[in-house]
Amino acid sequence: MKGLAPLFLGIFGTFAFSWVGLTLIPNWQIGHLDPQMEEDGSDAYPQPQSGMVERGAHVYAANGCIYCHSQQVRADYAADDIERKWGGRRSAPRDYIFERPVFLGKMRMGQDLSNIGARVPAEQENAPPAGAPSPAASAAPQGGAPTPGAAPPGANPSPPANAGSPPPKATASPPPAGSPPAAAGSPAAPSASPAPSAPAAQSPKAPPASPSPSAVAKASPAASPSPPAGSPGTSRGASPSSPPPKAPTGPAPKAPLASPSPSAIANASPGGMTSVSPGTPAAGAWPVQTTGEPPMYSAAWQHVHLYSPRSINADSNMPSYRFLYQVRRISDVPSDEALKLTGSQAPPEGWEIVPTYDAKCLVAYLISLNQSHPLKEVRSAAPAASPPAAPGK
Amino acid sequence: MNASGIPLKEPSVSAAAADAEQVERALIDASTRVPVLMFYTSAMAWLIIGTLLAGFVSFKLHTPDLLSDISFLTWGRVRPAHMNVMVYGWASMAGMGTAIWLMARLCRTVLRYPLLLVAGAGFWNLGVLLGVGGILIGDSTGYQWLEFPHYAAIVLFVAYTLVVSWAVLMFRFRRGEQIYITQWYLLGAFLWFPWLYAAGQLMLFVVPVQGVLQAAVGWWYANNLLFLWFGAIGLGTAYYMIPKVIGRPVYSYHLATIGFWTYALFSSWTGMQRLVDGPFPAWMITASIAATILTMIPVATVGLNHHMTMQGYFPLLRYSPTLRFTVFGAISYTVFSVVGVLISLRSVARYVNFTQASIAYSHLGLYAFFTMVIFGSMYYIVPRLVGREWRYASLIKLHFWASVYGIGLMTLMLLAGGFLQGENMENPSLAFSETTETVLPYLRGRSLSGLLLTASHFIFAYHFGLMLLGLGRTSTVPTFLNPVEAEGSEAHL
Repeated sequence: MKGLAPLFLGIFGTFAFSWVGLTLIPNWQIGHLDPQMEEDGSDAYPQPQSGMVERGAHVYAANGCIYCHSQQVRADYAADDIERKWGGRRSAPRDYIFERPVFLGKMRMGQDLSNIGARVPAEQENAPPAGAPSPAASAAPQGGAPTPGAAPPGANPSPPANAGSPPPKATASPPPAGSPPAAAGSPAAPSASPAPSAPAAQSPKAPPASPSPSAVAKASPAASPSPPAGSPGTSRGASPSSPPPKAPTGPAPKAPLASPSPSAIANASPGGMTSVSPGTPAAGAWPVQTTGEPPMYSAAWQHVHLYSPRSINADSNMPSYRFLYQVRRISDVPSDEALKLTGSQAPPEGWEIVPTYDAKCLVAYLISLNQSHPLKEVRSAAPAASPPAAPGK
Repeated sequence: MNASGIPLKEPSVSAAAADAEQVERALIDASTRVPVLMFYTSAMAWLIIGTLLAGFVSFKLHTPDLLSDISFLTWGRVRPAHMNVMVYGWASMAGMGTAIWLMARLCRTVLRYPLLLVAGAGFWNLGVLLGVGGILIGDSTGYQWLEFPHYAAIVLFVAYTLVVSWAVLMFRFRRGEQIYITQWYLLGAFLWFPWLYAAGQLMLFVVPVQGVLQAAVGWWYANNLLFLWFGAIGLGTAYYMIPKVIGRPVYSYHLATIGFWTYALFSSWTGMQRLVDGPFPAWMITASIAATILTMIPVATVGLNHHMTMQGYFPLLRYSPTLRFTVFGAISYTVFSVVGVLISLRSVARYVNFTQASIAYSHLGLYAFFTMVIFGSMYYIVPRLVGREWRYASLIKLHFWASVYGIGLMTLMLLAGGFLQGENMENPSLAFSETTETVLPYLRGRSLSGLLLTASHFIFAYHFGLMLLGLGRTSTVPTFLNPVEAEGSEAHL
């Protein structure tokens, strides 16, 4: 080859071609998506992250969770992610518009986490840390279909723990505060059925049918006093200055929470707390819910899992993240936040293990992960697509 | 075939001309001494650090409780630390060392402005040190292959600017009209890397793109780094070393041209296949899969060219360390590309997308191909810088075989484990934890391969250290892997 000019031009040209083709054009195509919302501007999804959730994302990045966990659900024709109950529909670009960094992931030595927040059990809703918000937002549309609202809006006795925190700047404009209905009553439905079949009930198809309930759920935070503290509407925005939930609130340590499917969120209602509790035992093959542990996928459960993964699932290959927790002497009264550990993991008498702020942020972030809200551009999996054949996840 | 009749040294035209050329080369080599050795020594240090980190990562993956209570030793931090040390510390620095030496030789001019390079190497080390420290204390950005926090990225970029400005200056002072194949690749690598790095940083941190596009930019960066930076340096080096060692011109310039341009065109379009079935417009993924398949064209032309050049000279693999490492690397380039095509096909990617198979792929590219070629070039270049020959043929052989068995075992373990893991993951009746258990025995096998690689790297580092200390052999004859006398070809030495 003679002469530098052709060489330079070629080197420049080929690379420019790739740069334009693989980054600039896609950026023009899908780089400026807006949240999806109803015509009246309600029910916006997704919502920006803020506060603890945002910090939690950085804890997630710093500790390399991404090297074992993905956050994307592939379409049912491409893979069995949906059948594994990792989500009710495939992930779409719009799900991630506020994520930074985006944690799509490339490895699954651990489970997919795109909908880990959707599996938070109902009780969680009553417990404060705004971490739990997302389920509420998405729960509404789904829960709305099956059951009419039964639970009284104000019924929720639990303390509005997040009261102190600034109300999420939810989207919900007019708070139809009085009626967190649909979702409210529903807990019965999903909880009654064993987890595996639950997904059917929660079919993501429901949403369009019931726009209103969704608006309701969102609105609730605005109506701060009465509504379930747990449903601060915003899926990501939950502004959580409050401590993590003291998990097993009530008598419901072993509820139907096992259901990994978004159906769990249907429970996300105030009434759920009491009505659900005695429900069916966990149906999933993993993790096995044992009595005495916090409800599966609740914030308290996440803390125990992060602290000591193998105390929850002996087969787990996840490292422990003890450095995110603090062992301290009980000074006065035991902290609400203290981890409920048993056996060899339990701290010595007079000591307790409490999460650091980073741990709380990480859990708030995990609980905010929820793609169960339907998207117009994505065909939701047909209910039939998830036969009860697969209890395992 | 007997080795006799095959020249083990460069053929000389006439005594006088040869002498003049020898002197010129010696002068050029001497001028590259300080900067190239600086790059090589730093690279060796990073290689050892990266190897220790790698062993730690590998063992922790199947023994999760190992030292997990210390925040900066948690698996999720050590893993990116290992990866970045290898990519930016070892591979980039060693690659730049080789590239600098080749540039000086091929431009046929003594190395000018060595201070630019010395400063570049210093800043580069500082950047990697800051970056790795940042990752360990929890400052990782969370983007794979670009985990270095911004303060380290800036230092790296400054360092690189110094190196690339040197490369461009050297080109201005080159003698001779002909631009050899190796120079195309090196010039490409030197110009692509800063653009790539800047584009990646810009689109992820300065004016971040929205949502999933960050992942697209990330994988576009990672794959182009693999192909256009490491791949280009590796191929360029192979194009120099193979003909040089056997003393015979490249088989076909024409093939080389086709190979180069198709390589630049197609390999730069790969990357999105790693996001297969993800939340992206299907055309992006499909375009990258198509490009990956099209990279078979440069693979075939480059492979054919090397093969035809080597035709009849394969017995030399018995003697020359450089040739042995380089040819192994060149063959691995073909294997790497074929595996890349296989695991990018949608029907296969469905199974292996989220498994250890993608780790196998990265190691094939960065180790079996690139690192082995660079080892080969170091065996050629270092004696010319320190004026001594490698001391022990046995150590070179040990290094070679430990590396070959190590990377071979690692690739097999990760590919096999990855396929099984993927197959089980696609079987929803199996609990998820069973899918990870499936792969654990293979991960233990991988740790075993890691021990082999660790041994190989320590051997090489020891040997390299001897050379640096001037403890190599004083001899006019290069160190051969096997005694040439036994074959009765002393006449050619």
